[in-house]
Amino acid sequence: MTRNRTTLFYALALLGFILLPQLITVKYYLHLSVLALVWVIAAQGQNLIQGYTGYVSIVQAGFMGIGAYSTALMGLHFDMPVWLSIALAPVITAFFALLTGYPSLRVKGHYFAIVTLAFNMVIFIVLMNFHQLTQGEAGITGIPKPGSKDGLFNFRDRETYYYLVLVIATLMTGLAALIVRSRIGQTLVAIRQNEDLVGAIGIAAWKYKLFAFVTSAMFGGLAGAIYAHYQSFINPEIFGVAQSLDAILAVIIGGSGTIAGPVIGAFFVVLLPEYLRFADSFRLILYGLILVLATIFMPRGIVGVTGDLLARLGKRGK
Amino acid sequence: MTTPVLKVEQLCKSFGGVHAISDLSFEVRDAEILGLIGPNGSGKSTTVNCLAGVLPVTSGAITLGGQRIETLPEYERVACGMTRTFQTASTFPEFTVRDQIMLGGNVTRTSHPISSVFGIGRHRGEDEVLARRVAHILDITGLAQIAGARVGTISSAQQRFLMIATALAADPKVILLDEPAAGLVSHERKTLTDLIKSIRDMGVSVLVIEHHMALIMEVSDRICVLNFGSKIAEGTPQDIRNDRAVIDAYLGEAA
Repeated sequence: MTRNRTTLFYALALLGFILLPQLITVKYYLHLSVLALVWVIAAQGQNLIQGYTGYVSIVQAGFMGIGAYSTALMGLHFDMPVWLSIALAPVITAFFALLTGYPSLRVKGHYFAIVTLAFNMVIFIVLMNFHQLTQGEAGITGIPKPGSKDGLFNFRDRETYYYLVLVIATLMTGLAALIVRSRIGQTLVAIRQNEDLVGAIGIAAWKYKLFAFVTSAMFGGLAGAIYAHYQSFINPEIFGVAQSLDAILAVIIGGSGTIAGPVIGAFFVVLLPEYLRFADSFRLILYGLILVLATIFMPRGIVGVTGDLLARLGKRGK
Repeated sequence: MTTPVLKVEQLCKSFGGVHAISDLSFEVRDAEILGLIGPNGSGKSTTVNCLAGVLPVTSGAITLGGQRIETLPEYERVACGMTRTFQTASTFPEFTVRDQIMLGGNVTRTSHPISSVFGIGRHRGEDEVLARRVAHILDITGLAQIAGARVGTISSAQQRFLMIATALAADPKVILLDEPAAGLVSHERKTLTDLIKSIRDMGVSVLVIEHHMALIMEVSDRICVLNFGSKIAEGTPQDIRNDRAVIDAYLGEAA
C-alpha cells in the first residue's frame, strides 16, 4: 500500500472505532470492545518483542497483572489519585521487566521464552499466595474509576470509558509505530533477521532487545492498569500463562511485525471465544483448532493475507 | 607509513586441550594489506574470530590504534575502528541493499537512538551525512545499480560485496576480510582485487584471509603464513613464494 492509502486506511479504522459505540445495541458488546482495546495495548507491546525483535515472550499477561495490582494497591494503601497510579503502573512493570530481561536477553535463542514463561508462573503464584498483599484468589474489589462523578467526563459510564481506552490505545499504537519506524525499530528488525551480524556491525544487540522487552512490559502494565480500573475487580486468574498465550496469538493471528496486526488480533482473541459459546463445553477445543489452522494456513496473519489479496487484485486491475 | 594500526602479541587460543593458536604475533600497518594464509585448520578463522571478539582469547594482547581491545565485546571493537566480513554470506535478507549499508554506518552516529523515535536532535543531520557516505560506498563496491533491491533477492556474489560495503560504512581503521573471494568467478575476483586495493588507498588497513593464491599474492603488501596455529613465515609476497617452510607446509612446489 502506498503511504496515502495507508493513512486513509488508519483514518477510516479510527473513525470506525469512534462510531462503534453508536452502532452497538447490545451493551455486552460494548464491554467486549473495551476489553479488546485493552488487549490492543498489550498486544502492541507483545508485537515489539515478538513480532519485530523475534523473541517470543510468554509473560505479557503477567505484566498486565503487575500493572493491575500495582495501580490497585497504590490506590488502596497510599490513597494515590487514580491517574497517578495508572501512570506509575507501567514504570513499576518496567522495573520487573528489567530484572527478568537483563540476565535472560544476554543470551540468544529460546532461553528467553523459557525464562519469561517461568516468570509468568512466579507472578501467578505470588498473586495467588501472598494473601497479605494481594488477597489471594479472592482478588481485590472496589478499585475506583478515574475522575469524579461530576467531572467533565464520567468514567463510570461504559461508553465514556470506551473512549478513554480508545484514546490510550490509539496513542500507544502511534508510539509503537514511531518506535518501529525509528533507528531502534530498524535495529530490532535486524536482530530478528541476523543477530550475529548486528553485533558485527557494532551494535550492542542486548541493549536493543532489553529496550524492546521493557517497552513491551510497559505496554502490558498500562493495559493491566486500565483493565483494573475498568472492571473494578481483579484476581490472579486473568494474569496467567494462558492469557499470555492469548497475547502471543493476537500478534500471530493479526500479523506479526505489522502495526495493524495486533489491533485486529486483539479483537480476534477477545471476540472469538464469545462467538464459540454455542459449542458449550467444546468451545475451547474449537478455539484451539481454529488457532492451529490459522497459524498453519496464514503464518503471516490476517494483515499478511489481506495484503496478498490486495496485491493480487491490484495486478488483476491493471 | 609503518605505524601499526592493529598489533597482535603472543595471542593464544585453546579449545579444551587443543591449541588452535599459540604464541602468534603480527601487526597490520597503516594503510597496508596484510594477507593471512595457511592450510585448512591452521587457525586463520580462529584468529579473525579472536580479533573481532566473537571468541575470547586465552592469553595475549590485541592493540587497535593504541588501545587494548582483547577484553572488549565484539560491538565495542567496531566502535574502536575494526569491522569484519564473514566466510559465508551474512546479511539482512529483508532489508534493501542501501538500508543494510546504512545500518552498518549507525555506529558512526553520536545522537541517541531514542531521538530518532521522535525525530528530534541531531539525527536528521546525521542521516544526510551517512546517506552521502553510503552513496559513495555503493559506487566503489559496484552495488549502486541494486541499491534499492532486497538483499534476499541479490546474487551470492553481490552479497559478498555487500558484506564489505556494510563493514566499510562503519568508517573503520582496519577491516578484516574472511575469505572474500569464496564462490566468486574470475571476473568477480578481479573486481574484488581492485576493491581491496581501493579500500587501502582510502587509508583503511586490510587483513585478508584467502585461499585463492593468485589473488592474495596480487593484493597483499605483506603476507603472514600460519601452520598449526603458529606463524611460520612473514614477508612480501615474493619472499613468501620462495620460503622453504611455506612451500613445504602449504604452497607446494608448483607455486
